[in-house]
Amino acid sequence: MSNMKISFFPLQKRSHYLIFCAIMVGVMLLSFVMATRLGSVELKFDVIKRVLANKITGRTVYPSTWEESTESILWSIRVPRILTAFIVGAGLTLCGILMQALTKNPLADPYVLGISQGASAGAVSVIMYGYLSFLGGYGTMVGAFLGAVISIILALRIATIRNKVTATQLVLAGIAVSAFFGAITNFMIYHTKTGSDKVKTATYWMMGSLNGASWDKLKYASIAFVICLLMILALTRNLDVLLLGDDVAVTVGVDTDKLKLIIIAVATLLTGVIVSVSGTIGFVGLTIPHITRSIVGTKHSRLIPASVLVGGTFLVVADIISRVIVAPEELPIGVVSAFFGAPFFLYLIRRSHGKFGG
Amino acid sequence: MKLEVKDITYSIDSKLIVDGVSLGIEEGMFVGLLGPNGCGKSTLLKNIYKVYKPDSGAVYIDGKNVAELSSKDTAHEMSVMQQENNVEFDMVVYDMVMLGRFSHQKMFNNDKRKEKKIVMDAIKEVGLEGYEQRSFLSLSGGEKQRTLVARALVQQAPLIILDEPTNHLDIGYQYQIMNILKRQNLTVFSSIHDLNVAACYCDRIVFMKKGHLIDVGTPEEMFVPEKIFNLFGVNTQIMTNSVTGKPNIIFLPEL
Repeated sequence: MSNMKISFFPLQKRSHYLIFCAIMVGVMLLSFVMATRLGSVELKFDVIKRVLANKITGRTVYPSTWEESTESILWSIRVPRILTAFIVGAGLTLCGILMQALTKNPLADPYVLGISQGASAGAVSVIMYGYLSFLGGYGTMVGAFLGAVISIILALRIATIRNKVTATQLVLAGIAVSAFFGAITNFMIYHTKTGSDKVKTATYWMMGSLNGASWDKLKYASIAFVICLLMILALTRNLDVLLLGDDVAVTVGVDTDKLKLIIIAVATLLTGVIVSVSGTIGFVGLTIPHITRSIVGTKHSRLIPASVLVGGTFLVVADIISRVIVAPEELPIGVVSAFFGAPFFLYLIRRSHGKFGG
Repeated sequence: MKLEVKDITYSIDSKLIVDGVSLGIEEGMFVGLLGPNGCGKSTLLKNIYKVYKPDSGAVYIDGKNVAELSSKDTAHEMSVMQQENNVEFDMVVYDMVMLGRFSHQKMFNNDKRKEKKIVMDAIKEVGLEGYEQRSFLSLSGGEKQRTLVARALVQQAPLIILDEPTNHLDIGYQYQIMNILKRQNLTVFSSIHDLNVAACYCDRIVFMKKGHLIDVGTPEEMFVPEKIFNLFGVNTQIMTNSVTGKPNIIFLPEL
């Protein structure tokens, strides 16, 4: 009965893969356009076009016929926010792929493993107590990175039994680690008590929001993302082999110790940076790689570019939803992504049970 | 000596699993490693193929200490075929076999046509022609194992280590896989469960018990009732297989 198992998905032909990527680029551009337009204040395409033309070229292509506030909503708030959403989505997806290759488990992702929560505890502690203030704007990022490093070590230690990470262990380790770091974050918030801005920012960290997006933060996040992406793209074949298990990877010639160290370093760095600009947004790193994998296959040289596109676009769309659904108020984007992600997570758990059972 | 193991000791949780094992394998030999469950066969092999690092002792291939070789250089000297392990991520047979080429490929500038030919030849060699685009997880046990044989072959290493290569396979597949391996011009070191399969294919037989090597010899020397009883605690009668001319072991359990 296994004789007829040649199916259309995952796409085999290179041309099909490229068509898929082209379609995704189209969807991405469309989502960008919609995202600039929609929100608590709706903007007209015509105005958007003119403002952007002026801003991007840096000259007065079109004489200003719009209000100052329109320009600042668009250029200082929406555009950086959209691009941040894309980088955050793409980055979380990349982190998910790395965690999955590291644990050989499709359930792994920075949120499930509690690494996002660790990063957020690190970031909040920096904001509350200001002990990394000598680093200026980078302080929060460094704090988030340190939190991520501690939590990933904890999570992997707990989840690994005899060099294997089972689904059950992974989920349990994640619950423990995220509960622990969630508690630390809450403690810091209560401890500081005052209804100050600090507490507000801290709460937003725990929910995940792109409210604080700015050109400045976007710059840091995109530089970190691009560096991480390029490093990982150079290692795609190593990642392919690692999926087969550490033993197999060693025997075909992968230096697994070095490779895992690089993966952990990149994944924590990226999670730290992302959490420091957006707070904890769950499940993106879990759902997007899984869906993309079923379309383009397991090979990382294909999976990574495609899922980075899909993940970035997904978060731009999720951000639109978060701004539109309760307008003029705004839903934290973490809520939107959890609505999509949590059911999917359950589905994956059920599926993996069939395989690990017995 | 193609493969030389010198005084390997290895313990897990301070329990000695491999206790001072030394052995040498000459080029072109097909050597079988036999012993009861839990005697340390697999642990010994893992020490040889570098998944475990021995507490003491060393492994040499052509006189080179494998501990000092880089991962890629080791992969050029020795390929390994293990039992099929549970993979969570699916890929097609062609891609799976291509992973065996890892140590030969560079980041850029690979001769794609040559790589493809090597992979296709190996797939043909193990009789999986036409399966290139099939998903690995949808294959039967025997087909999966043959895919893994192909993956080991494309590594083009002169020495191949087999860690329980035919476990869980029915007898037809066991012989099929051993036949494929036998026709390659390789030095083979394999753990084997089935005594008759071992008798049929091996030039040398190694008996292992409780972490020690207890005896080495040709199948004719090793498959005698006393030695087999000593190793497995089962009485046997040895005949000569009239077709293969090899010892045929008939078990005589107490009923």
